[in-house]
Amino acid sequence: MSDLYFNIESGYLEGLVRGFKSGILKHTEYLNLVQCETLEDLKLHLQSTDYGNFLANEPSPLTVSVIDDKLREKLVIEFRHLRNHSVEPLSTFLDFITYSYMIDNIILLITGTLHQRPISELISKCNPLGSFDQMEAIHIASTPAELYNAVLVDTPLAPFFVDCISEQDLDELNIEIIRNTLYKAYLEDFYKFCEKTGGTTADVMCDILAFEADRRAFIITINSFGTELTKEDRSKLYPRCGKLYPDGLAALAKADDYEQVKIIAEHYAEYRALFEGSGNNPGEKTLEDKFFEHEVKLNVNAFLQQFHFGVFYAYVKLKEQECRNIVWISECVAQHHRAKIDNYIPIL
Amino acid sequence: MGSLFRCEEMTLCQLFLQSEAAYACVSELGELGLVQFRDLNPDVNSFQRKFVNEVRRCDEMERKLRFLEKEIKKDGIPMLDIGDNPEAPQPREMIDLEATFEKLENELKEVNTNAEALKKTYLELTELKHILRKTQAFFDEAEFHHAQMHDPSMQEESVTLLGEEGLRAGGQALKLGFVAGVVLRERLPSFERMLWRVCRGNVFLRQAEIDTPLEDPVSGDQVNKCVFIVFFQGEQLKSRVKKICEGFRATLYPCPETPADRREMSIGVMTRIEDLNTVLGQTTDHRHRVLVAAAKNIKNWFVKVRKIKAIYHTLNLFNLDVTQKCLISECWCAVCDLEKIQMALRRGTERSGSTVPSILNRMDSKETPPTYNRTNKFTRGFQNIVDAYGVASYREVNPAPYTIITFPFLFAVMFGDAGHGLIMALFGLWMVLKEKALSAQKSDNEIWNTFFNGRYIILLMGTFSIYTGLIYNDVFSKSLNIFGSSWNSPAMKELFPSHIQLNPASQYQGVPYPFGIDPVWQVAENKILFMNSYKMKVSVILGVSQMIFGVSLSLINHKYFKHPLNVICEFVPQIIFLLAIFGYLVLLIFAKWVTYDVSDSSCARSLLIMLINMFIFSYPTHPCYLSAMYNGQEGIQAILVILAIVCIPWMLFVKPFILRRQWLNRPHLMSSPKPADGAIDEGEVVHEDGTTRIEAGHEESEEGFNFGDVFIHQAIHTIEYCLGSISHTASYLRLWALSLAHAQLSEVLWTMVMKIGFVVPTWPGGIILYLIFAFWAGLTIGVLLIMEGLSAFLHALRLHWVEFQSKFYGGTGYMFSPFSFETILELASTEDK
Repeated sequence: MSDLYFNIESGYLEGLVRGFKSGILKHTEYLNLVQCETLEDLKLHLQSTDYGNFLANEPSPLTVSVIDDKLREKLVIEFRHLRNHSVEPLSTFLDFITYSYMIDNIILLITGTLHQRPISELISKCNPLGSFDQMEAIHIASTPAELYNAVLVDTPLAPFFVDCISEQDLDELNIEIIRNTLYKAYLEDFYKFCEKTGGTTADVMCDILAFEADRRAFIITINSFGTELTKEDRSKLYPRCGKLYPDGLAALAKADDYEQVKIIAEHYAEYRALFEGSGNNPGEKTLEDKFFEHEVKLNVNAFLQQFHFGVFYAYVKLKEQECRNIVWISECVAQHHRAKIDNYIPIL
Repeated sequence: MGSLFRCEEMTLCQLFLQSEAAYACVSELGELGLVQFRDLNPDVNSFQRKFVNEVRRCDEMERKLRFLEKEIKKDGIPMLDIGDNPEAPQPREMIDLEATFEKLENELKEVNTNAEALKKTYLELTELKHILRKTQAFFDEAEFHHAQMHDPSMQEESVTLLGEEGLRAGGQALKLGFVAGVVLRERLPSFERMLWRVCRGNVFLRQAEIDTPLEDPVSGDQVNKCVFIVFFQGEQLKSRVKKICEGFRATLYPCPETPADRREMSIGVMTRIEDLNTVLGQTTDHRHRVLVAAAKNIKNWFVKVRKIKAIYHTLNLFNLDVTQKCLISECWCAVCDLEKIQMALRRGTERSGSTVPSILNRMDSKETPPTYNRTNKFTRGFQNIVDAYGVASYREVNPAPYTIITFPFLFAVMFGDAGHGLIMALFGLWMVLKEKALSAQKSDNEIWNTFFNGRYIILLMGTFSIYTGLIYNDVFSKSLNIFGSSWNSPAMKELFPSHIQLNPASQYQGVPYPFGIDPVWQVAENKILFMNSYKMKVSVILGVSQMIFGVSLSLINHKYFKHPLNVICEFVPQIIFLLAIFGYLVLLIFAKWVTYDVSDSSCARSLLIMLINMFIFSYPTHPCYLSAMYNGQEGIQAILVILAIVCIPWMLFVKPFILRRQWLNRPHLMSSPKPADGAIDEGEVVHEDGTTRIEAGHEESEEGFNFGDVFIHQAIHTIEYCLGSISHTASYLRLWALSLAHAQLSEVLWTMVMKIGFVVPTWPGGIILYLIFAFWAGLTIGVLLIMEGLSAFLHALRLHWVEFQSKFYGGTGYMFSPFSFETILELASTEDK
């Protein structure tokens, strides 16, 4: 029944986002980009793609950071357009997408102030998708409780933060814990929201979010080896909306080294494939890249169905991946370091 | 003239250009706009081509120009567009241009940074001025409270109470610290909330709005700001407050504590603002001068840079020969333009000062050339109508010249009203007469441009509508009685009878009305019956004639392409099929009109039923309107039906089988001896190999001629044509339907709207009529002219595309798109908008 009304409310935006999606660079375009000798070549080539003249008003010489900014700016403009034209429940859905960037921004700012960096320099590094009013005043907080009371209480992230208030100070480890707790709460909440929305949105988004949750669980586990994080604390950071919940997470909580993690992944068909194909040797793809590839696949698959919100999420993520790819290639081109230029994640 | 009937004869040419002359030659060709270059290195990336650096330099120049243009627009300086067309500058001039732009850009950037710095100081000073002014009020208030507190006349208790408290706090209780600053108005609420939260309510904030919006020095936008002053106590709070202010991008200013200092400072600020104003004025003047100078030339520069860029883009399509001495290009051009192109090349070579001439060679090519129809402003619209359906295949009959007449005519048949036609024709005429002035305006309104581009079509449609309107005797749904009706008025019982039934037996005078329909029908009750019968028959006659004409055009095509087989197997059966059924019907229509009059009208033959009976070979003798019209009708109809039926297998089978026989009987030169040779040379061992080779050869022959494909293709064509000629005839009835609808609609509009204005007697009637007329005229223009006109236009379009062109038009060609500066510049200027 909701499908009937979908086009009235979000049909225009869905059409728009599908149009945007068709502008995502194809394999052949990557092949051409990789051949570029200089960033000017890259600019010339991007002109023939959907990016068009987005670099036309930039004076030479071009730098990677300018390209990065412009790429991001384009995505932000597109996303804001979508957000401004959306109605409930799509607008909440789109807001949820921005929350993850808000979390990243907060963490970036706290870490930055911890290292005594000037706030203006940090602000320019923040993702504009996740900016909010009180963001720039974040450096007044020296404890999580202050952070919550002064800054976050007015933001939509407040409910996610409730679990972190007990932490004592803001040091490196605690910031990491805060980040992961926030993320966990965010993912679980987003998952619930998608479930509540129901229909195809739930089908598509729950799959993507479950993978996201599991990926975080794996990575947290692997990164925690050799740090002072206790197993008990670690298990608190696992998002509980993935396919690993509850058995896999319980097993992960007990894992002591990479091999054990791999054995746990064996029980899940899709993750087994990812772990098997990965490695750190030259010629092999890292586990992280494997995860990215899988994410891209899920996101591309989201476009196979109609009348759901998953396409908006998938589009933002795919575009983000594309920006990473282009920046990677431009870095390789700029530094004349062509050996690893093929290590981008192709978007199918 | 010949090119109107079919497209220009094109040829593929090879151009050999000396590397030093290439630029000038291409520039000349671009001015000419008669040559379409082919990309000779399609698999080379855009950034690996030869002249990529020059293209990049042009891009850079364009960027600088865009920057200049943006600045000019920001200052609202008019840009001079004299519409002149400077020639593409020489490559060496490019460096001068680059230098000029570079200089301008740098100058402008410097001025901008200066202006920005000045504006920033100015902004700071203005903000300070506002702070001083607003805080004065706060301090005054504070003084007042202060005074109250220390008022000696106050009651003893309160003084001691306060005094004691103050003493306990170390004597500094009343000495509050404060910070004053300015913050964006929209950020104030969250700023205030955050202050309160972080300082736990231990600060006191006062704020006042600055009434005049201030200019942001970086973006130049107008922003609204607020002055605030925060009172607090102690160093810790001070640092927190300062951090928050920083977080909210509030600018803090030092504010003296004593009123005297404040007054002094504010005087200082005022003088500095005045000084700054003069400096700022000079800076803007300088900037203005620079921009005005640039604005004079900027359009010219744009044209130049775009031309250079286009030339280098074209040069990138060329091939370099082995010696690197010359560039080779391939291009399509019309045969009759070769002379002009040669001339242009010679001019180009001369201009570059090269001694070796550029060479233009005609080449033979198997490729289908592009279709190039030369048009003028009159034929362009009609050619566009045809091209919108499909670009004609190379050298096939171009329906555009016939469309010039048939299109407005069929439109007019549906839009038959002389009054509406007159308005439309006048509108078209106005656009045609004001052509130059209107096209110079270059409107970017899409709807207007559509109308304007079709001005000649509109003019013709209007003129033809006047004609058909006079034939139908319809002027705004009323009739003109010019020659006097040839009907006697019936004996009337009342003065204005509601029904008048015309009876030709008693009222007709015997001599027809000289031109068009007799006006008396306008008031007759049986008008619709009469008009329907007339318009329906006319539609069938027009439709069948247009289809026969279309089929005849296919004969011209077949003859031109030398396909005698198509003449015999397609054209002949097609025309017989059409004539035997519908040609005969048209003949009967004329016969019926001529033979029957009022005395035997009850026996007038029903043509529709006669046509049906013709196919089922049934010939009833009564009632009399179903009996034979003439002697020997049975025989002739039988022959026609059989002829038409014979045509179907004729169209279907003959051509594929003849083609197949031709293929099998073609001279075998290569295929037969080969396996024999192999068998002899290599003996029995390779015998198997030999047979496979024969099979392979056979397969190859099947590739050349696939009987199944040809047959199915022919079958589709046959079915399409036979069913099509029936359904298309029926489709032409839309002529009748739309003309009926148009007439009825305008009549309804008259009776329901305009008539009301006439029925009110004496002077109020005049006022009402005045108002009603506006309403009626609005509806006439909006509904009858525009909406009905669009619908009739669409139907006329369909009749041409489907019913007419399907008889002969392939439409599988591709458009000739010559390299021309004019189109490139036009494209760029539309993109700018």
